[in-house]
Amino acid sequence: MQLYTRRRLTHWLVMVLSVVATAFGLLWLVLVLSTLVINGVGAIGPSLFTQMTPPPGSSGGLLNAIAGSLAMTAIATLVGTPTGILAGTYLAEYARGNWFGEVVRFVNDILLSAPSIIIGLFVYEVMVIRMGHFSAWAGAMALAIIVIPVVVRTTEDMLRLVPGALREAAAALGAPKWKVIVMIAYRAAIQGMLTGVLLAVARISGETAPLLFTVLNNQFWSTNLNAPMANLPVVIFQFAMSPYADWQSLAWGGALLITAAILLLNITARMLAAWSSFKP
Amino acid sequence: MSAEGTALARGAARARRGTLPDRAFHALTLLFALLVLLILSGVVFALISGALPALGEFGFGFLTTQAWNPVTEKFGALAPIYGTLVTSAIAMLIAIPVAFGVALFITELSPNWLKRPLATMIELLAAIPSIIYGIWGLFVLAPFVQQYIQPALIETLGQIPGIGLLFAGPPLGIGVLTAGFILAIMVLPFISSIMREVFETVPAVLKESTYALGATTTEVVWQVVLPYTRLGVVGGILLGLGRALGETMAVTFVIGNSHRIHASILQPGTTISAALANEFTEAVGDLYLSSLIALGLILFAITFIVLALAKLLLLRLDRQAGR
Amino acid sequence: MNSPLARPLASEMGPPGSPTPSTLSPAHRAAATTVRSLRPEPSAGGDPAPVAAPAVKVDIRNVNFFYGQAQALRDISLALYDRRVTAFIGPSGCGKSTLLRILNRIYELYPGQVATGEVLVDGENILAPGLDLNRLRAKIGMVFQKPTPFPMSIYDNITFGIRLYEKLPKAELDDRVESALRRAALWGEVKDKLRQSGLGLSGGQQQRLCIARAIAIEPEILLLDEPASALDPISTQRIEELIAELKTDYCIALVTHNMQQAARSSDYTAFLYLGELIEFDETERIFTHPKVRRTEDYITGRFG
Repeated sequence: MQLYTRRRLTHWLVMVLSVVATAFGLLWLVLVLSTLVINGVGAIGPSLFTQMTPPPGSSGGLLNAIAGSLAMTAIATLVGTPTGILAGTYLAEYARGNWFGEVVRFVNDILLSAPSIIIGLFVYEVMVIRMGHFSAWAGAMALAIIVIPVVVRTTEDMLRLVPGALREAAAALGAPKWKVIVMIAYRAAIQGMLTGVLLAVARISGETAPLLFTVLNNQFWSTNLNAPMANLPVVIFQFAMSPYADWQSLAWGGALLITAAILLLNITARMLAAWSSFKP
Repeated sequence: MSAEGTALARGAARARRGTLPDRAFHALTLLFALLVLLILSGVVFALISGALPALGEFGFGFLTTQAWNPVTEKFGALAPIYGTLVTSAIAMLIAIPVAFGVALFITELSPNWLKRPLATMIELLAAIPSIIYGIWGLFVLAPFVQQYIQPALIETLGQIPGIGLLFAGPPLGIGVLTAGFILAIMVLPFISSIMREVFETVPAVLKESTYALGATTTEVVWQVVLPYTRLGVVGGILLGLGRALGETMAVTFVIGNSHRIHASILQPGTTISAALANEFTEAVGDLYLSSLIALGLILFAITFIVLALAKLLLLRLDRQAGR
Repeated sequence: MNSPLARPLASEMGPPGSPTPSTLSPAHRAAATTVRSLRPEPSAGGDPAPVAAPAVKVDIRNVNFFYGQAQALRDISLALYDRRVTAFIGPSGCGKSTLLRILNRIYELYPGQVATGEVLVDGENILAPGLDLNRLRAKIGMVFQKPTPFPMSIYDNITFGIRLYEKLPKAELDDRVESALRRAALWGEVKDKLRQSGLGLSGGQQQRLCIARAIAIEPEILLLDEPASALDPISTQRIEELIAELKTDYCIALVTHNMQQAARSSDYTAFLYLGELIEFDETERIFTHPKVRRTEDYITGRFG
């Protein structure tokens, strides 16, 4: 029975360690979120949404940064979503089992997990150097390149979940393939595809690294997409790294804002996916 | 409809490849699939062409020298490469066992009602952007490490001859260890989610028949689940590693940005991505800029290899499972 | 593709001597002399043919089918008659569904699947290269094993197929929807909720919706691929009643694994086994006096 005792002991030890590990993992979520709320709530007020980013030592808000982030995120989503959906459609509907599809899928997966700062470097070389200056367009393009692989992946996965019988039923009525895809498969997969888009938006709304060398930052209100533009992540970065208490407080406010938005997007996306009409 | 009989033949020319809109839609989707290829080849091309001046100037020595002097225009990538590898190694050392524990708890131990919420919470940890971890690391974690963890490490491990060198120097708070720790927290949810997913692919009968022999949960996991999911687990670890290697903002805040290699992991260092984030917009001089892009190229090459390996393993797992 | 793989039929099947019924076209008669045709003899023992012999709607000649390298059907020849129900029976994997899927070339959605031979619909070979598949399919309705309502309203489900080829004013479209639903015996149950999703209906209702959708495009041929196998007995009975009613207008091919259903619903029955057509005859004869031993074994439940 000595062997059995040792086995039981090992078992309990592993079980305890696993519980500890889970608690340890969740601890950080709690710690990060509570720090954010504690430090950020003080900065959140009407002025955060109505005033521009201030020079050091004076009060202000994040209006220009919020607007800039919204604008660039919107452009990136508008560019990245159709691109991703069409490429994902190719993979799911036209490239089954062919080598070209395998290559595109592989490349897409590499893009999906490539460090975002590399994407920033790429856009710097193709757009910023060519145009001679930093611009919101370049920032939006960098974000769009991050959106594309996410949408490609979810579109392909979701279209693959659409039962073949549904496609056959539509084809049997005489529908040409493109109508089967657009009118039947998309409609069946729409929730899942939307989930992918939401997750992509969540991902880019906090991205900082690729914006550092594409849009830079702008202390003032600007609607010129062809010039540097303020944006939340870079403002947070600069303000947090600064020695000024006002700036640091605004950085916490911005951080809380971004995190709340992202968590909201994520939770919405999850609910949308759970509510989806098709279960594999 | 009866007149349709002859109309059937009329479609002769276009039939094989579909009607005109059909071909147009196919071509459209193909075009955007090509765009995905084009983006990646553009990235590779831009990085190589941008890095060429520096690589031409310094040659192979770029990889092996530590010098990083914008004034004399002498650049070497050794310190950032070293920092990238060491911070990622620390991150994996911490994250792998913890992620395994989390995945084990969620798949095998947790009551059913708790599984989904737990998995969701761990995944939300992955959704928090890295800049948030960065400022949290700078304002909360670094002071804590400076006050409690580093002095303790210096007192204990730092006194041991040999490995003591790893824990030498004044407690600064920021540094390689803190950066590695933040990275561990960031990659933990990735690794544990993938582990959880692959653990769930183990057929229930396989586990049940092992339990039926009187095995404990630990033994089932160790002797059935892990061997069965080996490829997936390693694939997941590599995906996490790929993320750790390229992570930028969180590291930039807490690593201290020093282009010198210290033996001690308590001292400041730099990583490729942190060097890029800190210096890129301020870099004056073509050689400086080109050296930074060369750093980017090296980072891309390292992550490409790791991700390709991960993808390969996960692909083989899919085949094995017949999916 | 054809010649090396297609081998002559095994001699074990069918009686010797090949019948050439008078309803056949000359061309077909020629074909029937080279390859044994398993056409049923409407007349037994040389009696005169019954009055109003049905017209051949679909004439399947020497059809082979391949999934990649694997051959799934070998040299199938048989005819489907207009305004009659023909049942395809046989054990799983015998190729009965595959045969059905050739008739509207739905198999071509997937790469690597090839059919050879000829299938004449009203005398036109639909396996000919260069045929407009979509128009072919619009002429042939198909209902699948599991209900396949589209993720849209009941009304849109029905009009989806109509709108593909016809531009109708709203009132006419409404009429077509109503008459299709009436013919599918569903109108009474859904007339007040045409705008609701088709996914909200019960399984039996969904299947009748799919039948309504298939007949709304006014096809000439209906292909039913085990249409009741996923349904409860009551829904099954309704589907069978529906088939009996629909055959007054259509040429119907029915794949079923349920022998009682074949006996109840069909006029002709084809028994397939391992990709070969073992016997084809009037349903009554197949179930009372099968000519081939293996058919008898199958319908009496001795194997399969």
